[in-house]
Amino acid sequence: MDKEILRRLELLNQLALTEEEKAAFLAFYAEREGAWAELAAIDTEDTERMVHVLPILTVVREDVARQPFTRDELQAAAPDAGEGYWRVPRVLE
Amino acid sequence: MTAYTVKNDISSSRGVILDDMILTADMPSTAGSRMLAGYRSLFNAEAVTRLVGNGYEIAGKVSVGEFAFDTLGESAYGGAYTEEGTLRYPAAVAVKADGFPALCLDVNGAPRRAAAQEGLVFLKPTYGTVSRFGTVPVACSGECVGIMARTAAECRLLFSSILGHDEKDGTSLPEELCSSALDERPIKRVAEIVFPGVENPLSAKLSAMGIEVVTVDAPVLFAAHEAWNILMSAELCNNVSRYDGVKYGYRAENFSGLDELYTKSRTEAFGSLLKTAILFGSETLSTENYMKVYDKALRIRRKVVEAFSALFAEYDALLLPTVSRGAYTEAELEAEPTLSYRENRFTAPASISGLPSVTFGGASLVGPAFSDAALLALAGTCEWEGV
Repeated sequence: MDKEILRRLELLNQLALTEEEKAAFLAFYAEREGAWAELAAIDTEDTERMVHVLPILTVVREDVARQPFTRDELQAAAPDAGEGYWRVPRVLE
Repeated sequence: MTAYTVKNDISSSRGVILDDMILTADMPSTAGSRMLAGYRSLFNAEAVTRLVGNGYEIAGKVSVGEFAFDTLGESAYGGAYTEEGTLRYPAAVAVKADGFPALCLDVNGAPRRAAAQEGLVFLKPTYGTVSRFGTVPVACSGECVGIMARTAAECRLLFSSILGHDEKDGTSLPEELCSSALDERPIKRVAEIVFPGVENPLSAKLSAMGIEVVTVDAPVLFAAHEAWNILMSAELCNNVSRYDGVKYGYRAENFSGLDELYTKSRTEAFGSLLKTAILFGSETLSTENYMKVYDKALRIRRKVVEAFSALFAEYDALLLPTVSRGAYTEAELEAEPTLSYRENRFTAPASISGLPSVTFGGASLVGPAFSDAALLALAGTCEWEGV
């Protein structure tokens, strides 16, 4: 981990850390990396991944049209909406 | 963050408190984050619907650390005013002061730690027995709606009211399996894992009650800690990617384009610990680290589940500490914002494996799947015998 990778992570996650936050993250990451060495020492070559503790199957419900909420209700929590749309800055220059 | 008070006009036998990760249609649900300040859900969480259907009333909502992730928000020095001038009033303080039991989303063991520090009981149920529909998602493969109360009997009563299959939750177990978590079975032999330098207040008490407590060595359970940190952070990173300042939540005021709207909104709304966790989770999923870190953690999860199975072939439950010490001070938490990543080493084994855990007497017992009621019964016996 270095500042260049951290910069890419910030861009990817749409965050901009302060210098203090960057230093704290780098220290935290170094601590976690140290712990990964302990994980590497555990032999998992013949162990299958366990993504979920339950045998999750895709849950498919009947394809029945319904409208639990109206568009107005769904947009009521938006910071800026109007005329049935979420309002955002112009995308095309 | 929003300030909450607990309604006082509800009798303690019918009132239940909710932490702010649990959605309610008639009160704001902020997940302890500026990102959701003032957010009001269009529907109630399934657990809330079931409570109300069983004659309970929602007595109020209490604060959580940001996305139930931040130890600071759960800490028992509640009642303090935050920088933004709002009241921090976490579940452990409310349960103790107001007498109502509480539902809390257990993501990273924070409510278990708070219960241990405050001498309360907390049930983290078997994964899949209580619907997570209508909770703010953080680390979906391990988080559970748990119950905090003054007594084990209160926990059991509330648990029986909210458990059961829910078709709206894809991780909800069939009804008959959910119900089996209420079956009681004797707990006679308990394995104990000792963490160097950490006292377990329950070990001697269980022995005094005639329960055989045997110290065991299960090194892979220690690895559950770091594996859960990886999986939890990766899942958190994905789950909070939905907050972009467009459809709901906080939006920055000054921006010149869409990208800046996203970045400024997230940067201004999320706290430092959450940002750290997001970036860490993101990096564990990178091309360079996916196999070495994330995939490894998934394999260790299976190792942990297998280790528990081997233990439960010989023992009825596993005794673990819950927290390294009594209440944290504000100064300690501010000096080490990522403290929760260290302190969760006691709670991570149950989180990563989905097994039930009951915190009482300052420590936790983890049992086989669906031993929830049996663990609570033992906690109740301890209360009865005054240990």
